[in-house]
Amino acid sequence: MSDTATAHHDDGHLSLNNDNKKLLMWLFLGSDCMFFGTLISTHLIYRKIYPESFDPTSLFSLELTSFSTFILLMSSFLMALAVSAMHKGELKSFRRNVLGVIFFGLIFLGCQVYEFAHFVHEGLTLSTNTFGSTFYMMTGTHGVHVAIGVFWLICMYFYSHTGKMDAHESAVDVEIAGLYWHFVDIVWIVIFTAVYLIEFI
Amino acid sequence: MSDVHYAPLPVSTKSHKDSETDKYHTFVNLALCLAAITGVELVLVYLPFNATFIFTVLLTLSLFKFVAVIAWFMHLLYDKLLLTLAFGTGMAIATGTFVALGSLISRSNVDLDAITAF
Amino acid sequence: MSQTETATPAPKTSHAHQLHVLKPERSRLGLMRPDHSKSVFIDWLTTVDHKKIGIMYGAIALFFLFIGGIEALIIRTQLIVPENNLISAERYNQLFTMHGTTMIFLAVMPLNSAFFNFLIPLQIGARDVAFPRINALSLWSFVAGALVINFGWLLEALQMMGLFAASGPTAGMTDLAPSGGWFGYAPLSSKEYSGVGTDFWIMGLQILGVASLTASMNFIVTILNMRAPGMKMMRMPVFTWMSLVVAFLIIFAFPAITIALGQLMFDRTFGTNFFNVAGGGQPILWQHLFWIFGHPEVYILVLPAMGIISEVLPTFSKKPLFGYSIVIFSGAVIGFLGFAVWSHHMFTTGLGKVATAAFSLLTMAIAVPTGVKIFNWVGTIWGGRIRFTAPMIFSLGFVWMFMMGGFSGIMHAAAPADAQQQDSYFVIAHFHYVIMGGIFLALVSGIYYWVPKVFGKMWTGSLSTWVAVLIVVGLNVTFFPMHFLGLLGMPRRTHTYLEGFGWSTYNLVCTIGSYILAIGILLLLVDLIRCLRSGEPAGDDPWDARTLEWATTSPPQVYNFAKTPIIPARDALWSHKHGPEGKKITYEDDHGHGIHMPSNSWMPLIASIGFVPLGLGMTLKQAGVPYMGSLAIFGLFVITLGLALWAIEGPGGFHLHPEEDEA
Repeated sequence: MSDTATAHHDDGHLSLNNDNKKLLMWLFLGSDCMFFGTLISTHLIYRKIYPESFDPTSLFSLELTSFSTFILLMSSFLMALAVSAMHKGELKSFRRNVLGVIFFGLIFLGCQVYEFAHFVHEGLTLSTNTFGSTFYMMTGTHGVHVAIGVFWLICMYFYSHTGKMDAHESAVDVEIAGLYWHFVDIVWIVIFTAVYLIEFI
Repeated sequence: MSDVHYAPLPVSTKSHKDSETDKYHTFVNLALCLAAITGVELVLVYLPFNATFIFTVLLTLSLFKFVAVIAWFMHLLYDKLLLTLAFGTGMAIATGTFVALGSLISRSNVDLDAITAF
Repeated sequence: MSQTETATPAPKTSHAHQLHVLKPERSRLGLMRPDHSKSVFIDWLTTVDHKKIGIMYGAIALFFLFIGGIEALIIRTQLIVPENNLISAERYNQLFTMHGTTMIFLAVMPLNSAFFNFLIPLQIGARDVAFPRINALSLWSFVAGALVINFGWLLEALQMMGLFAASGPTAGMTDLAPSGGWFGYAPLSSKEYSGVGTDFWIMGLQILGVASLTASMNFIVTILNMRAPGMKMMRMPVFTWMSLVVAFLIIFAFPAITIALGQLMFDRTFGTNFFNVAGGGQPILWQHLFWIFGHPEVYILVLPAMGIISEVLPTFSKKPLFGYSIVIFSGAVIGFLGFAVWSHHMFTTGLGKVATAAFSLLTMAIAVPTGVKIFNWVGTIWGGRIRFTAPMIFSLGFVWMFMMGGFSGIMHAAAPADAQQQDSYFVIAHFHYVIMGGIFLALVSGIYYWVPKVFGKMWTGSLSTWVAVLIVVGLNVTFFPMHFLGLLGMPRRTHTYLEGFGWSTYNLVCTIGSYILAIGILLLLVDLIRCLRSGEPAGDDPWDARTLEWATTSPPQVYNFAKTPIIPARDALWSHKHGPEGKKITYEDDHGHGIHMPSNSWMPLIASIGFVPLGLGMTLKQAGVPYMGSLAIFGLFVITLGLALWAIEGPGGFHLHPEEDEA
């Protein structure tokens, strides 16, 4: 079976492949900075040139948004633990943490759906004014990112039960899913400050 | 989604596990820190301070959260420099471009009479 | 902890008799992988080989070059005499829109991509790109995007034949082909002023964006991580370096247009206010977002051309590239500065004095690294033993013609002059000198240079000289008078013009030139076909070239290099042929376990096919055609299904043993 040469050969492939996947994910995230940069700057530019057109302070509930920010930050924490668990090969701990991330992600999405429904009920729709257009598209795109992340992690959770997952092969897959999840989190950190908090100063 | 074949390796060394345990403590500390900052931010906007002061503090805090998540949760601190460069380039170009764009468009360019919505 | 089950039995069983494990195997999914040994057709549809993907990119790009060329000829024929009535003004708008879009996104970019795909792994000594299946996804989603963009033409053709009419459920479908110009300025592209063609354009470009983004990330990973031992960054061929810069430009520039197109689509489909003036939207924002993408796009087009030139000139001058590191550095500087000059397309919109001055200065600054490159190329041929082969003639043409385009570019950089030239034929002259005289000549040079490597056939006869003469004469006769037309005040995108403006003679000359150019390009295709049909075998290194791709066979085997080369120096092959003993290419011993190759896969194709119903569904939904929302969702479902099966399927792979193959 595997003589030393083969082991060496596969070792090369494994580490190289891990490097490739990680670099691909980081490049995607670098590119994603431009995506969210465009969305957030569109929002801020319209806020800047029409400060009087719409007052969101009566609409926004800082308590709710702070809660969902907190939830997302904690999900990021659990994700970091899940990646760590996978590196140690502790599959059970990995599952527990990933379930936590999924749960928190769903809470975040729930808050966002509630928030959108509430805003629409209060009369702010996509076509009401520029604020509605930019706000919904920006937070909506972020929400879609979260939803994709939740879907990805659910797939991983079920995959971990097939017995095909182990520390060596899957750690990097979990890690790049984690990178994606953390990125979604940092985008929200920016949105929370630049879109929500700033309106209340 | 790999396209290169690989096979299982022998279990890695113990020091690897130790470093993961160290990371665990870092993660817990950071999580507490992030939660606290979010709380501070929430309280801060209601306090009767100078707007510029609050704005600066908010910006600093969110920048700290941003960098902290990238550095520790996303392992960028522990990882290769190349990854930092790949992400940093994107971040730098995005920041530069959109700060410039924001300062290029101002209210004085806008024909407010043409707008019927408000 | 469970054991990993890999799709390949390879490392677990004996290596001795894995010869031709090209048979389909069961993937992790339990499905059969495509059998590439039976049907050539299936092999090409499911291939993950970067060389086949490159060839397909090239073939499709040449097809669209032909289409875009026909569109240009109709435009020029319409303008041959004043008050001509060959085509309607509406059709004219559609033609110049599709001419620009086709040439940039469907001809030049994929032709660049063809070179990237074929050459990058060969030039860095890799077996394939880092993610072969993602590479296949890029190709097929490019094809899907091209179909969606051109769907309007299909409908126009059906309408002309009486097979399609905008009535009943399709009553909302007006203006079938896009007509808002290649940069689709708002509010011209808003719902009030344009029909379903603009939606085809939006969705098509979105899908092409997916193709470009995935391909670029793949290339960056390939170049940074997959280099053969000894192939340090500063030993890489310049073409690979320029590809790396371009790939970075693409991943940071395309998101801006993706979001802008998304916003425009939301404006048209869901009534948002991004660019809707009455609702507070600012059309100027579209211009900014478009050019934040659009200006780097110019360098995305031109840098690969500069890479090609930097390969061809040293080979046929028998000298190393003069100032290798400076050429690379200036390429990177051009790329970086490319993000800081977008507003020079918008000088006349009133940016304010400070902004105008800043963008003017930065634009002029780009001339510095570009000039550095020109001097380096001149330095390369200076005192060289020059051979006037076909690739060399086109490359020399590039240096000259590209400089002409550069000069008028400097003129635009001065904002006061630009205010005069904005939207006139002067601009058309400028960017056609850059694109036709620059990029296109370089690409033709690349075709002449690398086709012997790609197909293993050598060019026959001297038709290439005629091609060069006709193309260079044709493009000068076509585009040089346009400078004067612009200075005489002829605006671009004019359907027709009156007599007595002094434009008639120039327009006549331009049109004659465009036909000369067309004949030249047609002869190029004839030459290509002749080469493929009756070319002599080229041999590994027909040009006495310098870089690594010429060290392998022509055409290269599926595995590129039988054994991984160890690179001793820059210009590896030259060093191997003429260098001292310690500077020869050596090869890694593979210890007899052969070459690991990725398996073919249906999944990239299936996922990409989903883009077609998604794109068409979104478009036609906006036009009010019933059930189209469901079609779009179906498309999304197909994409998700393809990607999910892709993930479950696993990479697979098989081992080849080239020595025994070749024996």
